[in-house]
Amino acid sequence: MVNKVAIVEASQNAGAESKDNFYDQAYRVVKEVLDKAGMVRKDIDTVVSASSDIFHGGISCANAYYWESSAAFLKPGSRQDGESLFALAYASMRIMTGKHDTALVVGLCKGSENPENDTCTHMYTDPFYQRQIGLNETVAAAMQMRLYMERYGVTEEQCAKVAVKNLGNALRNPYAHRKGMYTVDDILNSERVIDPLTTMQIAPKSEGIIALILASEDEAKKLTNKPVWLKGYGSSLDTFNFGDRDLLNGQLKNAASRAYKMAGITNPGKEVDLAEITEPYAFQELLWCEDLGFCAPGEGGKFIDSGVTQRDGALPVNASGGVLANNPYVSRGLQRAVEAFLQIRGEAGEHQVGKKVKTALAHGTHGFAGQCHAVAILGM
Amino acid sequence: MGRPVAIIGVGQTKHGRRMDVSYPDLVREAVLRVFEDTGLTPDDIDGVVSGTMPSMMEGVALTHFYFADAMQAVGKPIMKTETCGSTGVSIAHTAFYWVSSGMADIVLAVGHEKMNEGDSQATMTTVAEPFYQHYFAAGAPGVFSMQSRLWADRYGISEEKIRDAAAYISKTHHDSAFDNPYAHVKVKVTIEDVKNSKIISSPVRLLDVCPNSDGACAVIFASEEAVHKLGREKVAWVRGIGFRGEEYYFGDSDKVVWQSAIQAAKEAYDQAGIKDPKKDLDVAEVYNPFTFQEMMFYECFGFCGFGEAPDMVLGGAFARGGQLPCAPSGGTLCTNPIGATGLIRVAEAALQVMGKAGDHQIPGAKMALGHAMGGIDQFNGVMIVGSEF
Repeated sequence: MVNKVAIVEASQNAGAESKDNFYDQAYRVVKEVLDKAGMVRKDIDTVVSASSDIFHGGISCANAYYWESSAAFLKPGSRQDGESLFALAYASMRIMTGKHDTALVVGLCKGSENPENDTCTHMYTDPFYQRQIGLNETVAAAMQMRLYMERYGVTEEQCAKVAVKNLGNALRNPYAHRKGMYTVDDILNSERVIDPLTTMQIAPKSEGIIALILASEDEAKKLTNKPVWLKGYGSSLDTFNFGDRDLLNGQLKNAASRAYKMAGITNPGKEVDLAEITEPYAFQELLWCEDLGFCAPGEGGKFIDSGVTQRDGALPVNASGGVLANNPYVSRGLQRAVEAFLQIRGEAGEHQVGKKVKTALAHGTHGFAGQCHAVAILGM
Repeated sequence: MGRPVAIIGVGQTKHGRRMDVSYPDLVREAVLRVFEDTGLTPDDIDGVVSGTMPSMMEGVALTHFYFADAMQAVGKPIMKTETCGSTGVSIAHTAFYWVSSGMADIVLAVGHEKMNEGDSQATMTTVAEPFYQHYFAAGAPGVFSMQSRLWADRYGISEEKIRDAAAYISKTHHDSAFDNPYAHVKVKVTIEDVKNSKIISSPVRLLDVCPNSDGACAVIFASEEAVHKLGREKVAWVRGIGFRGEEYYFGDSDKVVWQSAIQAAKEAYDQAGIKDPKKDLDVAEVYNPFTFQEMMFYECFGFCGFGEAPDMVLGGAFARGGQLPCAPSGGTLCTNPIGATGLIRVAEAALQVMGKAGDHQIPGAKMALGHAMGGIDQFNGVMIVGSEF
């Protein structure tokens, strides 16, 4: 049993290219979350940020650059690299120990100042084998998609439906970068980038400064009458060599089972009211739904056909538009947590789902075909 | 507050120019060694914390992917902590919080760097933004030289005295490195050798500067319950931790009365109940990539008054056998695989209080400090370990 940790406030910026420089952008989002919570900088005990040097406009030691503008000046703090849900977990641990009562979590990725995402993801490869064959996240995803369709008979149309749903949902999200009413044909007829993936099934490159304030149980009660609790968390890492992995049998099941165990969830399809999933490639939403236990293995295609994951369905998935609509690579996991938080609070605005959301799941992944996954369960 | 946490074992590579192993194999060497040291197996590990310097260093990004197998981390919960040069201590902090929070019982922390596969000074140049600082605050020696000049000027310490004190530090650390089986640079140097070595960036000379090392370090942290369950006697209890970061722009802050160093140490001292560090600490593994900077840390950490470090050094206060032996392992000055270096400082501090430091053991050490610095003199992190909780 660990001490309870609450999210008391959250803020984010829009995904489209911003004229603000990185400092101003970080400062504004952090100031906004403090203002919303009625706090000032000195009320924050510790700051944990998430960013990646490879996604940081060519400047190394990313945390050095934004340390002051993210309110961390002369505060105890740290940084997580790659996956921003790690930062949510780390800041929570800092509060669980009782050493800190409040924490600021900031995810930072300014897509407009980075090269193409795959120029960066290509650098995950080892210099000897995988770099020579040009492997990157999209190439890896294309192979995973092909395998998924072949093994389970999932169709390209079913995969494209994810993009139709998510980009449609994004119309209601003022922060979304890419949005619109599209048909399955629109998605499939967009440029074929790496077969079978088409442009509209691949997430864009977005801006994303995301900030959350966390607090201990006692402190949360003073700060808000609508705390959202971290009920569960889990992560898992897969083996490195791409050819050694079964791309349809990865580590998300492990990460999810850890989070479910902590949250006391035994039937996720029933007990999770809403999910925000990191789906940088449309078909991955279907595969991740299977791994999260929302449907049986191989049933992801039928699952989207059933309408369950629509915004008005029984288990809405990516009501915000997801990562296909907004992809600040490093901070996208934390953005999922913010969206889950807003839905639980009933503060998601136009994309608030109709059903009552008591328990929501936020998922983050990075690496080739999901080499690493993190899952957070939030609840009232 | 939080659950008590102890370091139960450490593993280091033989640091140096390791052209005999690939980068993952270097990591594997340290990880297998910590399993050998603790008698644990990968099955016992609840989570893994990994960290290094920026991707430009070796040209591989998000290295937890690359080292998943070498760290025995496949199927494990993972965290990736990076704070620049202070990464190693930040990795230790992450492992500490993970266990102390109750989210895990046994956590493996791994830091690594293979600097001979890249260009460290080119990498550090990219820590500075491209508009202003890039042109003058590029690379480590220039920055540390400016800081050293400022310090000597502030307290009116003569050029000759800082030179003598720095040479004394260099000589004694190079001597100590011979007693550390894992140290990189093992060269017998005299005071005169140091004073006459090639100027890198005045007043810094070649023998005032750390090497580029390949190396990895692995440390296992365990909860009090796990320590008892495993029946471990000799462990190093985490007694205090501190971390601070200050202004990004080098000129914005005072790097002599250096707040990130002062406050990081104070936070750790308060937790550990340390009032007089020179008396209460038995060993300090201060992060010392440059001899001159080491003296500034003595002052900021309260080992002596401001401006007094050179006299204290020349009096032998911080040498082995002195009042507070600093860097008896030979320190960062003789071994610097950056992403691992801070964790090596913590590991060395732990070895001292466990009485397992071998030929460089400080007899009877009960309380020890590990430290790392990062950014353009921007971050300082401290971990204090003790033989008793």
